[in-house]
Amino acid sequence: MYNNSMIHVENLQKHFKKAIKEPGLKGSIKALFKPKYDIVKAVDGISFDVEAGEVIGFIGPNGAGKSTVIKMLTGILTPSEGFCRINGHIPTESRKEYVKEIGVVFGQRTQLWWDLALRETYMVLKEIYDINDEDYKKRMAFLNEVLDLEDFITSPVRTLSLGQRMRADIAAALLHNPKVLFLDEPTVGLDVVVKDNIRKAIERINKESGTTVILTTHDLEDIELLCKRIVMIDKGKKVFDGELSKLRSLYGQMRELSFELTKAEDMEKLTYAEEFNFADDDLKVEAKGTDVKVRFNTDTASVEEMLSFTLSKVHVKDISVKDADIEEIIRRLYKGGGSAL
Amino acid sequence: MRKYLRLHRIFIAQDLKKLMEYKVDFLLGAIGFVLVQAVKVLTLGIMFAAIPALTYKEGGVVVDSWTFNEVLFIYGFSLIPKGIDHLLFDNLWGMGYWVVAKGDFDKYLTRPVNSWFYVLTEKFCVDAFGDLFVGVVLVLYSVLSMPAEIAADINWLRLIPVALVMPFAIMIYTSVKTGTAAISFWTKRSGHITHMCYMTNEFASYPTKIYNRFIKTFITYILPFALTAYYPAIYILRGESVWSLGVTVGVSVILFLLSQLIWKLGVKAYESAGS
Repeated sequence: MYNNSMIHVENLQKHFKKAIKEPGLKGSIKALFKPKYDIVKAVDGISFDVEAGEVIGFIGPNGAGKSTVIKMLTGILTPSEGFCRINGHIPTESRKEYVKEIGVVFGQRTQLWWDLALRETYMVLKEIYDINDEDYKKRMAFLNEVLDLEDFITSPVRTLSLGQRMRADIAAALLHNPKVLFLDEPTVGLDVVVKDNIRKAIERINKESGTTVILTTHDLEDIELLCKRIVMIDKGKKVFDGELSKLRSLYGQMRELSFELTKAEDMEKLTYAEEFNFADDDLKVEAKGTDVKVRFNTDTASVEEMLSFTLSKVHVKDISVKDADIEEIIRRLYKGGGSAL
Repeated sequence: MRKYLRLHRIFIAQDLKKLMEYKVDFLLGAIGFVLVQAVKVLTLGIMFAAIPALTYKEGGVVVDSWTFNEVLFIYGFSLIPKGIDHLLFDNLWGMGYWVVAKGDFDKYLTRPVNSWFYVLTEKFCVDAFGDLFVGVVLVLYSVLSMPAEIAADINWLRLIPVALVMPFAIMIYTSVKTGTAAISFWTKRSGHITHMCYMTNEFASYPTKIYNRFIKTFITYILPFALTAYYPAIYILRGESVWSLGVTVGVSVILFLLSQLIWKLGVKAYESAGS
């Protein structure tokens, strides 16, 4: 069946051959003459579809295979099995035509030329992508406005701060008005203000240019603010694919109780685990001086029970209950390998 | 193709601008290459101070001999194709040493240009002016100081076919570097292989007749650096080895296609690096 979504990924796999070495000199010599290999399935049969204009959060713990998937989608790696098709292109088959339609930003390494002034970098990209003068001017003006490049556009790339460099990199990936933008950890190592600016910029670009965005991140705030839908992978397999709200409702039984004690010593009296028989995963208590945060599963103890137990044991100045944040949900998912879904 | 030339021009302009920024770096680099060459020339000079000429004997009879000036000319000439390759296509060295191993090759694959060409043109290595400078000086000096009876054999019209074949000679260097650099797609690092192959060019700046058959065949057909040095130089000097010009074109094209094949297969096998 022909599927005309923007990105179509079917049973995508990537296997790496990894040499097995026994420890010590003896092992090294043995490996030299009789190398043994192990096949590591970094990506093990992933399928999903992305519609045009969607912003997808692609998440998973370190080493889950996120980057490998992104590298296959961007045509850098050739899949071992399966395939992906983006806007009608198989990336590795028509690489040169294909990459004209995508923009790629790797947070960890810049794609800009270290010694060139930023403006010159864009001039080079203009040539590489055959952008005509008029489009270039329009696009530059837009990117300038969204990403605030004006202050440092004449500086050499090597002198830019990390935040500036990231904005410059994103602009460089968008100069040719790509249909799909791949962002691999775009906010890694940035401060809160810069993160916020970058998120706003991504949001605007998605809205105004209709760019489809694939975002990998470890910063769950990125996900919460930008993505309606997330795809989570672990150990090379997809463990969750759906709306963020679905994830939240699935794990919605988690609540967070936070309060301020009048006396820090009172903490000892709050024996939630014994009182309600919480399983390890279902309870987490954090106390910093008099500030206390208790995350718990409402399947084991209701909010009312928790509240009344707390109030019967100690005096508190202030108390509130809220939904557990997405970070907590994902932490639980990572731990459980997604088996709950 | 025009797009590629335009791109190359932009990168060259950028590197020249950079040159203005890092003047000391350039000077040191170029002086370094000049010094290396100076030591080699000095060695030649010391050698020839002890012997009147380099001779080749067959059955105890001198069959061929080369004077200091001729050897100097061959040596100087060899630096020209080598220097031009160095000037334009030096970026290939990085491939085998760190680009592939560190996963930096990713960026060459996310642009709508041929990845090989992109790597090739990204850097303009001004240090190579050191090589070229020494080459030209040696050629001029050896000709000007040449005994009249040797100089009489030179026919400057022979420069025309040599100039026509020159791009193919340069391509021999570039292809050897490309093919060996591409090995890194499988092995992660191959810089030392490139270096090893590249260094066989040292053999090629002397008359090939002085070597045994194995080395002679090796530097004429396998890593054919003799085609970039001794053969064209001796053709200019004496009109010998006209055949080598044709061989240069043929061998160079074969090497080029082979290196492109290795590169293409290599890109498919590229594994990037974890980030």
